[in-house]
Amino acid sequence: MTVDELSSTFFALADPTRRAILDRLTKGEATVNELAEPFPVTLQAVSKHLKVLERAGLITRDRVAQQRPARLRGRPLAEAADWLARYRQFFEDSFDRLEEHLRTIQNRESDDG
Amino acid sequence: MAETPPSRGGIDREFTITRVLAAPRSLVWKAWTEPEQFARWFGPRGFTTPLSKIAMDVRPGGTCEFVMVSEDGTEYSNGATYLEVVEPERLVWRDRDVDLVVTITLRDLGDRTEMTCHVVGETGGDQALAGWSSSFDKLAESLARA
Repeated sequence: MTVDELSSTFFALADPTRRAILDRLTKGEATVNELAEPFPVTLQAVSKHLKVLERAGLITRDRVAQQRPARLRGRPLAEAADWLARYRQFFEDSFDRLEEHLRTIQNRESDDG
Repeated sequence: MAETPPSRGGIDREFTITRVLAAPRSLVWKAWTEPEQFARWFGPRGFTTPLSKIAMDVRPGGTCEFVMVSEDGTEYSNGATYLEVVEPERLVWRDRDVDLVVTITLRDLGDRTEMTCHVVGETGGDQALAGWSSSFDKLAESLARA
């Protein structure tokens, strides 16, 4: 998994409705209509959430059937179960960039002075 | 300085990252608290945090909101509320979406700064993390069966 994939997994999981959708999908595949039922959100909102989950590789959707039922995709979720490690990676990544940034602005200051 | 060992699988509730940065403490503080600086580094590689989409009100009870943009243009909205702001040494906030409290501590080492980042999942009296953990436990179980 690349850092970008880890990040999208993390962000896909950082929403209570999306987590609840995944939870529902552990019981088996479901259509948008079925998924929308327990939530106080519109079908459009559920579709949006599904897109985020699909982009993160956490679910797949049937390309043939008209209802396009969604189902869980195992591997990234198993890895994402260790979610705090993802969060840690997020900070480690950011801090690498912080180090670079601090170096850059200090070099610029010493060049100017 | 005590350091929590890196997480080793499972659902850990806290971790600590310590780094010594080659910059004076005042500069590191600005990197966290000034949008112009924050925009230059925050977020994983491949993401940008546009200055135009950062709103910071750095004081206890104030909020920080920003949007991170991935390479494919997907926008991720983030938010937090500051719990403690002690310039230039301590910054504590609670995430808006993830039930986590993050504490940044900056120790003055002259022209260098020791930065400690402590992240803890809040459990006391708050059901959110427990809910999240249990749904992951269920996911993990169902994946094991699959």
